[in-house]
Amino acid sequence: MSENGLPSPNHILFVKALRKTFGLIQALRGIDLELFKGEFLTIFGPNGAGKTTLIKILSSLAKPTSGTAYIAGFNIEDANPQMRSQIGVISHASYLYDNLSALENLVFYAKMHRLENPEERAAQVIDEMGLKARMHDPVGVFSRGMTQRLSIARAIINNPAILFLDEPYTGLDQHASENLKERLSVLRDAKRSIVMITHDIPRGLEMCDRVAIMADGKKAFMGHVDDVDKNSFEGFYYQTIANSRVDKNRK
Amino acid sequence: MKAYLAQIGTIIWKDVLSELKTKELFASMFIFAVLSILIFIFSINLSIVNANDVGPGVLWVAFIFSGTLGLNRSFTLEKENGCLQGMMLSPVDRTAIYFGKMISNLLFLSIMEVLILPVFMIFFNVDIISVLFSLLLVIFLGSIGFCVLGTLLSSLASNLKTREIMLPILLYPLVTPVVIGSVNMTSRLLAGEKLADMTKWIGLISCFDIVFLAVSIMTIDHILEE
Repeated sequence: MSENGLPSPNHILFVKALRKTFGLIQALRGIDLELFKGEFLTIFGPNGAGKTTLIKILSSLAKPTSGTAYIAGFNIEDANPQMRSQIGVISHASYLYDNLSALENLVFYAKMHRLENPEERAAQVIDEMGLKARMHDPVGVFSRGMTQRLSIARAIINNPAILFLDEPYTGLDQHASENLKERLSVLRDAKRSIVMITHDIPRGLEMCDRVAIMADGKKAFMGHVDDVDKNSFEGFYYQTIANSRVDKNRK
Repeated sequence: MKAYLAQIGTIIWKDVLSELKTKELFASMFIFAVLSILIFIFSINLSIVNANDVGPGVLWVAFIFSGTLGLNRSFTLEKENGCLQGMMLSPVDRTAIYFGKMISNLLFLSIMEVLILPVFMIFFNVDIISVLFSLLLVIFLGSIGFCVLGTLLSSLASNLKTREIMLPILLYPLVTPVVIGSVNMTSRLLAGEKLADMTKWIGLISCFDIVFLAVSIMTIDHILEE
């Protein structure tokens, strides 16, 4: 963590003591995280650990109860348009209109991001995701895998500094999962900063630089992927969650 | 400011494009409005009752109820596939999202109202041609108030499971002054009075329109935020 409590120019993500409560429920109980430019962080955690809440706060869709977070140097409390132009989000939901075509959807988002030549940029990212032949088809007729690829195109249309992926493999078949993995590899090789939430331990570990485990609204573990034993990680994961629950119950 | 207006324009463009493809919103609003007028025309004996007395009420019932259908549908579409969140992730001020949706709603409602007027004129046998400009102005003033508040409450209700029920419950009591003023002015216009004699009502409705707009701008950020 930075000495003065502020992010350095190399930080893409800097989170300190982030808390979120919904009434009596503490979804996040003081999260500290940091990620440097070009790094890929995978966050594992059981349901209800607060992972999605964390992503929502970091992408300015929800406000924290307390704590601070900086994305690409911008404080999320300001939630200003400049900060949002640095973010791309791929979630369970596609954020796409079923009755509009793939091209119309992406032109809409390109215009919302105030990009120059929105039609050209939309066609370019659709082509990158291998959907050129279907760009004029309504999204409503797309398969889950195609919709997910178009979601990636939507998320990278503004060339964001950081991408948040919230369980991107959910509902995908083997072929679509492999396809998504390839797309993510391309993004990682392009040194794009990525934060991915997943339950899929092998997939999560094979691409990341850093790995974190969240349990009961807290960061239970964070380390470099080279420092963890991939073969025994599953056991370590369940043990970490169990320890975290014991700690919580003691308190 | 130019970028802000361009983003509002983009949201309206998207809504119009979506509506041109599906025609869901407009078709349901128009059919509902026509049916409302038809039901009233068969239940009222116009040889006994003066059409100018009951007509304005029937007309505004058709406008308000069909408009509510449109408002409900408007944010429901944004909730499907999380599209509202997609818009909120864009570098856009939350008020631009509100204005884009509000103007789209006003546009669809206004088109429906213009198409309903001839139907109303034929069935109720009232002369609206001679007061058409004044009548359109009154309808527009009332529709602004309805859409300004309706869009705000529609965004609020869209987060609820009972949104179809909650929107009218929240909207109708609050929009009542605007509707009463609009019905009153429509009635007096059809009775032959001039718009210039109704400045108090115009002022009242305009005041409500401005208050609704101010409240919407102040609260939309918190309403859209989870």
